[in-house]
Amino acid sequence: MNIVQSFTKIPRQVVFVTIALAVMIPLIIPIGLPVRVMPKSERLFHAIDSLGPDSKPVLISCDFDPQSMPELYPMLVAILRHCFARDMKVLVMALWPQGPGMAEMALEQVPREFNKTYGEDFVFLGYKFGVTAVLLGMGDNIQGVFPIDYYGTPLDSLQLAARVKNYDDLSLVVTLSSGDPGWRAWLLFAQSRYGANLGVGVTAVSAADVYPYVETGQVLGLLAGMKGASEYEILVQENGYSEGRRSAVQGMDAQSLGHLLIMVFIVLGNIGYFFMRRQK
Amino acid sequence: MMLSTDPWVWLAAFLTLCIFSFLFRDNIFYQFAEHLFVGVSAGYLIAITWHNQIYPNLVIPLFRQGNVVYIIPLLFGLSYFARFIPKIGYLVRFPIAFLLGWGSGAAIPAYFQRDILRQTQGTLLVRDMFTEWDSGLWALIILVGVICVLIYFFFSRERKGIMKPAANLGIIFLMLGFGASFGYTVMSRISLLIGRFQFLLGTWLGIIR
Repeated sequence: MNIVQSFTKIPRQVVFVTIALAVMIPLIIPIGLPVRVMPKSERLFHAIDSLGPDSKPVLISCDFDPQSMPELYPMLVAILRHCFARDMKVLVMALWPQGPGMAEMALEQVPREFNKTYGEDFVFLGYKFGVTAVLLGMGDNIQGVFPIDYYGTPLDSLQLAARVKNYDDLSLVVTLSSGDPGWRAWLLFAQSRYGANLGVGVTAVSAADVYPYVETGQVLGLLAGMKGASEYEILVQENGYSEGRRSAVQGMDAQSLGHLLIMVFIVLGNIGYFFMRRQK
Repeated sequence: MMLSTDPWVWLAAFLTLCIFSFLFRDNIFYQFAEHLFVGVSAGYLIAITWHNQIYPNLVIPLFRQGNVVYIIPLLFGLSYFARFIPKIGYLVRFPIAFLLGWGSGAAIPAYFQRDILRQTQGTLLVRDMFTEWDSGLWALIILVGVICVLIYFFFSRERKGIMKPAANLGIIFLMLGFGASFGYTVMSRISLLIGRFQFLLGTWLGIIR
């Protein structure tokens, strides 16, 4: 067996170890490869940036679990920082049972950075089971669906939540979604049926599915995977809104090297395959 | 380097390494972590369903506030279990029929709006798209792509004449779509690996900030 043929028989342990090294080394010794901000991420940033203290609140739905945390959690933190830096009011909720854990972690950290008060500047509605009924119900009366917040406080006793009746009282809905229920349900009921303005942040796996809806304007802007999160973190920092830790930007060198290595393996595998086929 | 002193972080790191050990081969550590995950997930889901759904939406209104109307959804819910008793097995049809009817009524018009009306509208060429040359070009490519892919999936006529090259072009568009999806999938998986390494090297070992 010559070298070229051996390209098709690289042991999988070798592939795992080299990918692990390609990801680990840039995390320890950052290279600082540039990250270009894509127009779809910019659109979501500008949609939020055009709002201010007098705008209606923004609703963020954490429709993800710890498995998608590396991609979606940095988006949540960056969007919260952007909203609070612009003195906007924020409601947070979840369509996934594991979502509240993610949201609570961010809400313990980000509001403190901006001295925001619970009930006045932000409210955490928590998780509610039953996607269709929840989203349709919120179009009619949010307090009917969430009579109490995540901590058991009646919603009508919270200054911010008391003045939000339905989607008409929200300037934007942002769903950070890693599957179903997620952006599709929000698009189906909140946007298509009630005309809510919708921004979407998704794991990279689902990004290609959202593109057609961004093109038609049904979705205002899109953050795709860790790359989208890093773009939003860059926009938030470049515009002077926050100097906080940027975990997605930190991972971008590792992401680029990981991709490069996979491309090398694909090319090597194909070269080996073509040579073997020619020999036959 | 500053090792974490939080025992939960150590536990999470241990479980992460247990799962990673599968890359070498299946072993008892991996099986332990996998079974623990399945058990915890099931327990969490049962607890959250009771506390978040059944207790506030059924137990409180029916048994604490005495709102007897809630007997109807209770009976509907219970009739799902009728399947286990063959004599009254037919009762399961009632909640299924209700859910299908309500679900279809709520979803079909919205699906039509989301996936057909607005998407068709977005594919049409209008003058506004040609205010800039690049947006016009992309709009044209999208239109050609949609038509060619639709021709590829049109099976009622033999592929000859104009149908053949159009269907072949449709395949190219499909392959480009699959390629983009696969690229994004790779990106997603690498992101998950980065997330775990950020945890191991940062939160646990304190090597990175």
